[in-house]
Amino acid sequence: MLSRPTTEQILLDCCRELMTIVLPALTDETAQVSVIMVETVLRNTAVRAAHEVAWMREETAEIEGYAQAVAGQAPGAESVGAALKALAGAPRDSLHLDDVVDTYCRAGNVLSAALEAAVAGRLTDLVRRGEEILDVRTGHETEVMAGWSPTGR
Amino acid sequence: MADELHLDAPSLQRLLDHFEGGRGGTVTAFRPISGGYSRLSALTTVRWADGSEESFVLRSDPPPDTGVFVSDRDAEWRLLRAISGKLPIRTATPRWYDAAGEYFGAKCLIVDFFQGRPLSDIAQSPDEVPRAARIFTDTLAEVHRTPLDVLPPELERPADWESYTEGLVGRLGRLDSIVADSNPALHYAAAQLRAHRPPPVPLTFVHGDAQPANILVPDEGPVLMIDWEFGRIGDPREDLGYYSHLPVPPNLFQADPQGFLARYRERTGLSEEQVNEDTVSYFYVLGMARLLGQMFEAADALAQGRSRGVMATYMMNGTSATTSAFVEVARRLTS
Repeated sequence: MLSRPTTEQILLDCCRELMTIVLPALTDETAQVSVIMVETVLRNTAVRAAHEVAWMREETAEIEGYAQAVAGQAPGAESVGAALKALAGAPRDSLHLDDVVDTYCRAGNVLSAALEAAVAGRLTDLVRRGEEILDVRTGHETEVMAGWSPTGR
Repeated sequence: MADELHLDAPSLQRLLDHFEGGRGGTVTAFRPISGGYSRLSALTTVRWADGSEESFVLRSDPPPDTGVFVSDRDAEWRLLRAISGKLPIRTATPRWYDAAGEYFGAKCLIVDFFQGRPLSDIAQSPDEVPRAARIFTDTLAEVHRTPLDVLPPELERPADWESYTEGLVGRLGRLDSIVADSNPALHYAAAQLRAHRPPPVPLTFVHGDAQPANILVPDEGPVLMIDWEFGRIGDPREDLGYYSHLPVPPNLFQADPQGFLARYRERTGLSEEQVNEDTVSYFYVLGMARLLGQMFEAADALAQGRSRGVMATYMMNGTSATTSAFVEVARRLTS
């Protein structure tokens, strides 16, 4: 397959075309707003395309180690064990996006269960560690936002 | 329901001919207006046979399976009719309702036009921010002092504060249960909110989308509050919390949180233990959870192969920003 320009570069070029050629030619306000939104979504998508597989795999590995620590210390953390079992059955060796996303969603369920167990069990150190993992996830989401800010109405 | 939405003058004319045939009304002006993220709105003028003129605002559902935020037009109409003339502040006077989409192709309610300036516009002048904050605070306090017995019987009445709040926290932790994606931040926030309850307050009527853009200020007399689609009985701090983080400048709460809350406490009689920046942040999370859930569902529709329009994917940015803020609030609860 053709690999250069990268997906990120192609999408950003589409953004440039939309903003410099298409948008100035529009007079309908609704269409203008739509184009601005589409351009934002394309920029979001460009960041995702550039990094999402690596980010999801890195986070998944961190989450798994964290959840095992929670399962070892939290009383009655059956939900963590069940979520880990579901993660173990994920198509982890595949780099096809659907498989990476499937694995990552299962890892998300593991992190959810582990955080709930850590907070409920007042496992302060593990809560902190879980927050750090959330921070990484949040940081990636912020990067995907590509400078977006809410504009209200 | 018709297949196609047609929020236009001919459709309104047909409605008037049906409901007000004896008055000989003619639609003389009709133009779409900005109605926020969720609804389609229009402003119209009608000349009656006796020579008088009236202006109305139309508010309709968007075409099916489009957009992000969903609300029940029937419930909004019932609520508008029930509270009309019953609150210390004004609410839009309801006139007609196309309940079956017979005229416009979608449910559409029509209310009297109100001549007033949006409080959000007034607040754009830096000199006016303190006055705008006072108007906003007082309006919220008035809404929250509404006697519950004027509200329609169909409006859900929670049994008590504890079960109501637990229900909100539980719903927060389940927001990702009906979508294909997972969101651990919500589970973390819900767990922390469950572990750090604020003091209870009496449940009240809440607006659900309390922001200056929804308050119209006339030259004289009480303000008018619009957009009651999320009106419900709940914790009044949900309205405070919802607005406290609204990223539409200038935010009248963030301009002076202490002053804002002191005035609200003075107007409502609630204590500082009940209403402070921490409890407001707590209810920011719970007050926003409903809309966040709708943002999840709109994005999930695309994941399931059903596009709801570009707004749904555009608002994924809002989902990220909101969940990030939820985590920050939840973390502060532990400090």
